[in-house]
Amino acid sequence: MNFLNIVRDFIVVFNYFCMAFTITLSIIYVLQMFISFANVKKDYKKQFSNDFIRYSQSDNLMPISLIVPAYNEEANIVQNIHSLMKINYPQYEIIVVNDGSKDRTPELVINAFEMYKIETSIRYQIPTQKIRGIYYSRKYPKLLFVDKDNGGKSDALNAGVNISKYPLFTCLDADSRLEKDALLKLGIEFIKDTRIVVAGGIVRIANGSKIVDGEFQGFSMPKKLVERFQIVEYYRSFLAGRVFWAKTNSLLIVSGAFGLFRKQTVIDVGGYKTNTIGEDMEIVVRIHKMMHKNKRKYRVVFNESSVCWTQGPMSMKDIRSQRRRWQIGLLDTLISHRDMLLNPRYGFVGLLAIPYNWIFELIGALVEAIGYVLIPFTLMMGELNMFFFITYFMLAVMLGVILSEGSLILEQHTHRHAMSAKQSLQISIYAILENFGYRQMITLFRVEGIFKYRKLRRTWGEIKRKEFEQ
Amino acid sequence: MEYALLGIIGILLCLLVIGIEYIIHYKMAEKDDNKENEFNTTCHKMEIWVEGILYAPTEQCRINEIQSLAETIGNSAEKYELFMAALNKIKENYIQAESSTKPIDDLIEQVDSIVDPIKIYSEMLDSDDVYHISYACRCLADHNAIEYKDKIKELSENEDPNLAYNASMALAHFGDTQSVANYIHRIENNKTISFRLVNEFFENFTGDRAELAEMLFKNSNKYMRNTIIKSIAQYKIERFIPMYLEGASGDDLEFKNSCIVALGFFGLPEYEQLFQIAAQDQYWVLRVSAIKGLAKIGTHTALETVKNALNDKEWWVRNTAADAMLSMDISAKDIEDILGGYDRFASDAIKNLLYRKIDMKSD
Repeated sequence: MNFLNIVRDFIVVFNYFCMAFTITLSIIYVLQMFISFANVKKDYKKQFSNDFIRYSQSDNLMPISLIVPAYNEEANIVQNIHSLMKINYPQYEIIVVNDGSKDRTPELVINAFEMYKIETSIRYQIPTQKIRGIYYSRKYPKLLFVDKDNGGKSDALNAGVNISKYPLFTCLDADSRLEKDALLKLGIEFIKDTRIVVAGGIVRIANGSKIVDGEFQGFSMPKKLVERFQIVEYYRSFLAGRVFWAKTNSLLIVSGAFGLFRKQTVIDVGGYKTNTIGEDMEIVVRIHKMMHKNKRKYRVVFNESSVCWTQGPMSMKDIRSQRRRWQIGLLDTLISHRDMLLNPRYGFVGLLAIPYNWIFELIGALVEAIGYVLIPFTLMMGELNMFFFITYFMLAVMLGVILSEGSLILEQHTHRHAMSAKQSLQISIYAILENFGYRQMITLFRVEGIFKYRKLRRTWGEIKRKEFEQ
Repeated sequence: MEYALLGIIGILLCLLVIGIEYIIHYKMAEKDDNKENEFNTTCHKMEIWVEGILYAPTEQCRINEIQSLAETIGNSAEKYELFMAALNKIKENYIQAESSTKPIDDLIEQVDSIVDPIKIYSEMLDSDDVYHISYACRCLADHNAIEYKDKIKELSENEDPNLAYNASMALAHFGDTQSVANYIHRIENNKTISFRLVNEFFENFTGDRAELAEMLFKNSNKYMRNTIIKSIAQYKIERFIPMYLEGASGDDLEFKNSCIVALGFFGLPEYEQLFQIAAQDQYWVLRVSAIKGLAKIGTHTALETVKNALNDKEWWVRNTAADAMLSMDISAKDIEDILGGYDRFASDAIKNLLYRKIDMKSD
């Protein structure tokens, strides 16, 4: 009987802990959002005199290598390369790395761009799988096609880094599209401040948006609910979260779909880690680590006006696979760099960003999921006051809505004219609706990722995505 | 009960915030919608207007149209910029159809004489927003509004770094040596930006670059002096040659390198001996600069040294040497020999550069 009492007491206490945890997490998110708002507003005003177009032909900009890893990308690759060729930047090269695709990716690229095999030496600064050949085109001299054995996305990126000739490089997903001036806006960051080693741009969900040759040409509400929810989610994640972390120079993740790196820094840390699926976060954490260890002055920044469009998954099945992968990537990175946790040697990163990710991004999902089971159970047991439960539930939902709605305001502020007033308000409704079902599902997918860490830590999984409109 | 009260207050507070957020969001979206519509209408109108003026049947008709366009633009910087954007758009098509863009240039001049963009931007100088003032400074410089130089000079000393930079860039456009020099002195210790800014200032400076450089050399620290030398190297300012020669034979490594870089741009055979010595230096940075200099001289002995540098232990020296060789008078047989030779470093460097060279030429 005593034991049962202890269990019951434990459940009740844990129940309150779950509640306090979720409310605290929401409050932290909301505070981040308000701080981000102040920064975004300031940056937006600054843009008025930044006049980045003056730089579009400037020799002062550092040349960039665009590395596009491609694995079974026959549906999108040619179209994507064509769109990359229209980017507004004075000097850049495009390196498409075929990571041993089993489909017609190499054939399509070689034929479409009239490429032929060339012999050249490769400076292997980072070890990679065997490179079978490098292809060049007289007609498209900016383009280089690298055919290599399969080794995963990180290995393809490392091969691209070895072959690239410019001091900055950006990794781009083959299924994403850069806005015309995106590189220009990000490239300027590197000349404004020479301490910058990584600059991340914002990734926007392209579902429903018409993107032609890197130009946004209008928005219509995507058909599926999951796509609508993702639009709100991406705004929240990029505009509220990353702006805040970048301001404290402790941004731990620069999206794999679009980030600009100082090549030498990436080489110094040994390139992308090949046996992880969270390579985008891992490389940034490793850069933070090396810079702090060597006591070097550096900055990792985020530019919210530099846009990359990506097609979000269109079904719950694909979202599940994606979120599971993200959570595994997060866990893998945090475990690999556990020595940074609460370590003052790593400054803000070790004392704030890493613990935050452990507590709120990783364990937070677990606590939230346990709460989903425990709270109704305690309620049924009669241990939880109904009034208290309703108050808690309403507070949790409302804080979520404040955060999402705030992010939508930020979006309206940074990307004016993207949506009409009517569409903006329509999207706002999904900021409320996502709290009833979608958010809980996402949490469960994240928890699944934690439990399947050992089994799936090397598996990417395939996600079906929509093609960009021509 | 206290918790319940706290909870209710929390909920009410959240509801209030959500309500405010929704109102802000709606107002912003509505305002942006109106702005967007207004923008599109004005753009369209401007395009029609400009075409109407360009193809006006009579001179009187043309004058009337210009007058009416100028009245529409009034004192609005936004409308003036839309007019310019419409003109540029038309200009692209116009160039293809007509042999000269003179009518468009004339139109800008005529509209400018009535609209007075200088007045528009000078009013912006009185704005409360530093970013608007910064923008106005640059635009006034673009319109050569020399009468605002003094006001812009004051702004170049502002504490706001953005405003000070833009005002100083405007002064560079006016060719104001003293003010630009003062600004560069002020930022010389900020190594994170000063290198880029020095390049930008010299690039945009319309006055005597030699005079500006001389003024800066007088009081600059070592880092700034070296930065300036590298920045002005491309302008081949002869009066600094004695200083370069002295520096190139000195012990200060950074200064020596900057001077060798600067001398390299002249491409004069009398400095070959100096480059030959630097090409054997223990510091690879100096070897790279010397090879670039030798490539410009292009004599037989220079070519031999560059060839030898193809097997340098430093990758970047080999790469520079290969690059230099392809720009020198080298025979196909020489390339063949290197490619088929025993020296892997040399053959790799040439191989690497060959296809990149094709790339650059095709660009």
